[in-house]
Amino acid sequence: MNDIILEMKGMEIAFPGVKALDKVDFTLLKGEVHALLGENGAGKSTLIKCLTGVHRMDAGTILLEAKPIRPSNTQEAQRLGISTVYQEVNLCPNLTVAENIFIGRQPMKRGRIDWKTMNKRASELMGLMGMDVDVTRTLGTCSIAIQQMASIARAVDVNAKVLILDEPTSSLDENEVQHLFRVMNDLKQRGLGIVFITHFLDQVFAISDRLTVLRNGKLVGQFETSKINKLELVTSMIGKDINVIYSLKKAQPKEDAPQVLEVDNIGIPAKVEDISFDVKKGELVGFAGLLGSGRTETAEMLFGVTHPTKGEITVHGKRVQLKAPLDAILQKMAFCPEDRKRDGIIGDLSVRENITLAVQATRGFLHPMKRKEQEELADKYIRILSISTPDAEKRVGELSGGNQQKVILARWLATQPDLLILDEPTRGIDVGAKAEIQRLMLEMCEEGKSVIFISSELDEIIRCSNRIIVMRDMSKAAELDGDTQQAEILKIIASEDEKEVSA
Amino acid sequence: MLSVGTSGGVQRKKLFDRLTKPDYLMVYATIGIFILIYAFGAILYGHKGFTSLRTFMLLFSDNAYIGISAVGMTMVLITGGIDLSVGAVASLTGMIIAYGTSVMGLHPLVCISIALLVGVSLGALMGACIQYLNVPAFVTTLTGMFFARGVCSLISRDSISIKHDMIDSLAGFKLYFKWPNELGEWVKIKPVASVDLNTIMFVVMIIIGAVILQKTRFGRNVYAIGGSAQSANLMGLPVGRTRVMVYAFNGLCSALAGISYVLYVKSGWNLALMGSELDVISSCVIGGVMLSGGVGYMVGTLMGVLLKATIPAIITFNGAMNSWWAKIFTGLLLLLFIVIQRLVVSATARRKNK
Repeated sequence: MNDIILEMKGMEIAFPGVKALDKVDFTLLKGEVHALLGENGAGKSTLIKCLTGVHRMDAGTILLEAKPIRPSNTQEAQRLGISTVYQEVNLCPNLTVAENIFIGRQPMKRGRIDWKTMNKRASELMGLMGMDVDVTRTLGTCSIAIQQMASIARAVDVNAKVLILDEPTSSLDENEVQHLFRVMNDLKQRGLGIVFITHFLDQVFAISDRLTVLRNGKLVGQFETSKINKLELVTSMIGKDINVIYSLKKAQPKEDAPQVLEVDNIGIPAKVEDISFDVKKGELVGFAGLLGSGRTETAEMLFGVTHPTKGEITVHGKRVQLKAPLDAILQKMAFCPEDRKRDGIIGDLSVRENITLAVQATRGFLHPMKRKEQEELADKYIRILSISTPDAEKRVGELSGGNQQKVILARWLATQPDLLILDEPTRGIDVGAKAEIQRLMLEMCEEGKSVIFISSELDEIIRCSNRIIVMRDMSKAAELDGDTQQAEILKIIASEDEKEVSA
Repeated sequence: MLSVGTSGGVQRKKLFDRLTKPDYLMVYATIGIFILIYAFGAILYGHKGFTSLRTFMLLFSDNAYIGISAVGMTMVLITGGIDLSVGAVASLTGMIIAYGTSVMGLHPLVCISIALLVGVSLGALMGACIQYLNVPAFVTTLTGMFFARGVCSLISRDSISIKHDMIDSLAGFKLYFKWPNELGEWVKIKPVASVDLNTIMFVVMIIIGAVILQKTRFGRNVYAIGGSAQSANLMGLPVGRTRVMVYAFNGLCSALAGISYVLYVKSGWNLALMGSELDVISSCVIGGVMLSGGVGYMVGTLMGVLLKATIPAIITFNGAMNSWWAKIFTGLLLLLFIVIQRLVVSATARRKNK
């Protein structure tokens, strides 16, 4: 099985100002899962885009089954047998599952589309992947997992030799990820070469055979997954010893520090209930729990996005009514939402405009910020947060995920908040940027600000928090000390399931 | 877990699910409201002959030009585009035929061929602008509208009546339904004895449109583009070609609508069909075609045209009411359907969250 199916040699591509790829080599074998790793901006997606014909390479050769190819667009790449499944599912939500798999190559009967055969074959294809789905359902009404499987089914059925999975797991839950892995293993057996791009290192070790690491557009190396450990891998990805980065010290609020926020038994019936906690000046309070356990809902109540029907919120010793986010902003609170694409970043605006947005909101539209003021503010935070952008006028949509996250952070830091609520600030960004965001949070605490930090990753919660609030089943399950062991938190989170089973 | 529908595949449930697909709801709404309004007219004016088959057939033949144009418009709207030029292009068709036959003395068939060619080329040109120059459809077709209207006035500022045997015979053409009586003689079937050419063109175009949309790859690509043009492109579908062809097809429909209108009024006038593009678009919307693209059915459009035609018919039967009431009711109807569309969209979103 060890034939090379795809080989890229000496790939070079330059964008204005940066060398995005510098003499990168990459080989993919038949029947392997090959992880492509690197921080944001390391050149992973550029490499993939060369392969799928989105970018033109400046130098280098691509050999598919020993024959040189130079695809000039995605269609051509697909015809050659290179299919890509993107992070954001690229299918048509208004068509049925079956149609999405077969559109453009529907089975025909007497010059007309044979819907019956098409649905039958789609059903079979999805069945092969262990999906029992009504393929006549409109795709948009299906879960992301099903959409992704449909996407893979399409890619594979187009007679793919090389399948590229670009961050396929970022919106899947644990079960769905395991299912995807089974499908990937199955495809591997059929002799496909799979390129797997992900930020989740555990998944790399769980599924890949070999891996290639890129850094700053250069090839760091190609490894057998079984012969490298996690620490070595991370070190090679960021080019620094990980321990240096992770030597973070927790915030140390004073014993007698005043309460910044007191929350007394707030809730919205049938949504979130009985949430009580407080946050001291200079303290970092972590919120742990599964997705959908009520973490985000709590944050939204604190920020005036939704309105608790009972209970009290006290800020700086004063009882407040938060009718809208602006009220919360005026109380010197700030909130970085979970879904930065949907609720945070305005991709078409520049870095400067995104950063100054919240400050402007606190001033009211009658007092516009002067251009110069805006530029100073933007430059200041670009420097402080080391946002990598050529200048403040770049469209935010063109930045990498980690940098977008920093821009949102900058927007809220610019309002000089006393309390910062961060909902999953490190999701979907790479290890280096993660560490940097964690460092920033802790620095803020040191400056006497308070932080509420929501995350699904327990190790980073434990690493940063002074106190940990565990959410479960839409209410507060426990409040723990910051030095708690991971296992203990897991036990609390999991006890819900036990209850359900015994009930 | 990952499985959706019940693994047993309860057939009846599946059928139920398919019939209650949110996309169909709007077509059902149109059919339902059409029946309601028709019943309303029947109760009030049944004795005056509102319920006669003749009146019903007039809904078709009097609105054939709107309906034919709506076939092309439906396709354009499904891609997520819009075409404001259809009325002007139809009017231009009328001018070409009128000027060609009456002033230049050309044979009507030659004029019709030229008109069809002009319609298709204008459509293709606008489609190409939209696709390759990235000009928004609204702007492109607005330009096309002014252009076509301008050319109409260039040809003539006055109404030109058409006097040609062939046009007369086409306009007077009727397809008779006959069956043999006991004596073996072919007699006309009562009460509906005939169908005119306009009605035939309308119905045939609706059928052609429906077959294209449901049974050809081209038709499905039209839906895919409306769902997500970017995805369609990444899936390797010929987005550019399809979009240009959709506008060209719509140009063809506009020209056919113009021909239908010429047969209806037997003249060409540079200001004819002013504002009719909005009638066409609103018929489609009432028929459940989404302006945001991706959703729509020819059956819906057919029902939309009929529904929109029923209101003025009722007003006419009333006799006492000003014809502006028709516009007011149409406006209310349109509002109602837009609200229904929003509700269906949010219901779909809820279903997804479940």
